[in-house]
Amino acid sequence: MAVLAPPPEPVVAAAATGGWRRRLSGRRTRFGLLNATPVVVYLLVLFVYPIFSTLLLSLKDEDGGFTLHWYADALSGTSLDILLITLRISAETSAISLVVGFLLAYWITRLRPIWAGLVMLVVVVPHFISALVRTYGWIILLGDHGLVNETLVALHVPGAPFQLLYNELGVVIGTTSVMLPYTVLLLYAVMRGVDRGLIAAAASMGAGRLVTFFRVYLPLVAPGLVNAGILSFILCLGYYLTPALMGGPKQTMVASLIDEQVMKNNQWNGASALGVILLLLTFAGLLSLRLVKSVSEAAKNRGGA
Amino acid sequence: MSELHVMSEKQSPPTVASPVSGAGKPLSVTKVRKTYGAMTAVDEVSMEIGAGEFVTFLGSSGSGKTTTLMMIAGFVEPESGSIVVGGRDVTRLAPQKRGLGFVFQQYLLFPHMTVSENVAFPLQLRGLSKQEIRTRVGETLEMAGLSRFARRRPRELSGGQQQRVALCRALVYRPPVILMDEPLGALDKKLRDQLQTEIKRIQRELGLTVIYVTHDQEEALVLSDRIAVMRDGRIDQFDTPQELFERPRTPFVADFLGAANFLPGTVESDDAVRLDTGGVLRIRRHDLASGVRARAAVQPGRLAVCAPEDGFCTGIVETVTYVGTLVRVTIRPDGADTCVRLEIPAGRAPLMGDRVGLTADPRDVSVFDGTAG
Repeated sequence: MAVLAPPPEPVVAAAATGGWRRRLSGRRTRFGLLNATPVVVYLLVLFVYPIFSTLLLSLKDEDGGFTLHWYADALSGTSLDILLITLRISAETSAISLVVGFLLAYWITRLRPIWAGLVMLVVVVPHFISALVRTYGWIILLGDHGLVNETLVALHVPGAPFQLLYNELGVVIGTTSVMLPYTVLLLYAVMRGVDRGLIAAAASMGAGRLVTFFRVYLPLVAPGLVNAGILSFILCLGYYLTPALMGGPKQTMVASLIDEQVMKNNQWNGASALGVILLLLTFAGLLSLRLVKSVSEAAKNRGGA
Repeated sequence: MSELHVMSEKQSPPTVASPVSGAGKPLSVTKVRKTYGAMTAVDEVSMEIGAGEFVTFLGSSGSGKTTTLMMIAGFVEPESGSIVVGGRDVTRLAPQKRGLGFVFQQYLLFPHMTVSENVAFPLQLRGLSKQEIRTRVGETLEMAGLSRFARRRPRELSGGQQQRVALCRALVYRPPVILMDEPLGALDKKLRDQLQTEIKRIQRELGLTVIYVTHDQEEALVLSDRIAVMRDGRIDQFDTPQELFERPRTPFVADFLGAANFLPGTVESDDAVRLDTGGVLRIRRHDLASGVRARAAVQPGRLAVCAPEDGFCTGIVETVTYVGTLVRVTIRPDGADTCVRLEIPAGRAPLMGDRVGLTADPRDVSVFDGTAG
């Protein structure tokens, strides 16, 4: 999550504009700078420096010279496959957690406030438990002799027991459960803001449920859907624990690959290149979020022109 | 107007039974009833509303006026009774199948659509052609003086403008009946007056059937062809403003609409009441038995001062307040605890402390059973 922390913009902006000397001499400015110092130092040491050294590391060959071959390695062969798998699993996770999160959040908005609070707690509380414990919980539930499969066998469901672990299904179940609280929280906040009266208004004019949903409700919660979708996608990209424990060899994700390169192969440069690629993908995700927002803003403004 | 093209391409097939029809239709409500737990919100209310009529449900909160409106709209289902619009029984239909128009107090414009998209929405639902939608939306906005706001979003408009848009959206598809739930309740006095005039003008021009809910009696009097005065889930009286004012059928109506003075006494004959303060008040014919305790009701504007010996009672002038061309006078009749309120032309005002008599035309005096609320 540290990647998402905002850069110390205000200071840079103030210094970059003309007459910065005059600006800096103001008492309020000086006080402001003093206040900003701890944050700036903190970010420089713990955020800017590590990123730059990772970047440098990824561009150095064994002798310390400049090279791009770590990137070439990362974007070819099994590395590329792993990258694509990561993207696919992240996309699946964000799609499923959007759909499930949408239904869950919608249901919560229709509950009485006291029940809504309670359900919200149930959704969020698992997040306070260590991710490791939660993942093992899933492994116990989803194993060949786990609760889920035992129940399905007892119900004589054809094909049971199913392989629910150590494959893509297992990984997606695990990551979805991790992302769900984020999507539910984001969507719930947007849905609460939708005036139920608008639904009644649409009905009064003759709009059926489907038309009301697609023409009125969905456009109003769309910003939340975009936010939640991209956030869960980004979070999933760099997720390590669940894919490592609940996936098989075919579900290795980039984070596991980095771990392997550092811990087993002592290959820091390659790991750095992968890290930079992950970071760029995250930026791409955030950028597309901005893009979607500005496009929709532009569409709105076109209406007002 | 390019956004309208885009919008109508995305539209789903029309789901509404009623096409875009002509002017207002009649509506009849028969013995509808709705209870919430032990509370009876609407108690067997019946009424016939003619095509092109402007009817107001007037009452304080909890009188059942909004519940009745919501049952007509379809948002609340009556336990019994029936609602027929233009000959079609809609009692058990969902709101979207009734084809009525509704204007809400909170405007409820779609925030993600422009003004013209909002007004076009109900037409798109009815599957009209793009060309026709554009024409209709243009005409309707023009009529409400909103043309230059067509491309704006609702949040960029003032409350009054938003409510005008909501009005356009409700009448653009010519629903047989338009329901309005305190549409001007959130606006300030000046804007309210202005919009009342506009609503009335549009209703007359288009021959709309309008049912309007308000707790403001002045608004009801200005707008309505007929007013249903509601109390405790029942209609006390359903009449023209003039009838309600001049011939209130219950003390509540007399009080609520005319702020009447109530004078306690005993019925003496079929056209007179002997007041507790001593005098005999001539009243219009009534059906109460002689000797029954009764209350005579006179509006403040229908009382006059006269020489002490000519009046049905005498009293001392306590306050005189000028309000423009009228003067509000309070007079304490001899032997009474409460004052009588008068509104008389400024030229005929007595002075404070004067000893005067009170008179009233018998036709302006209603009489009610003394025990009735």
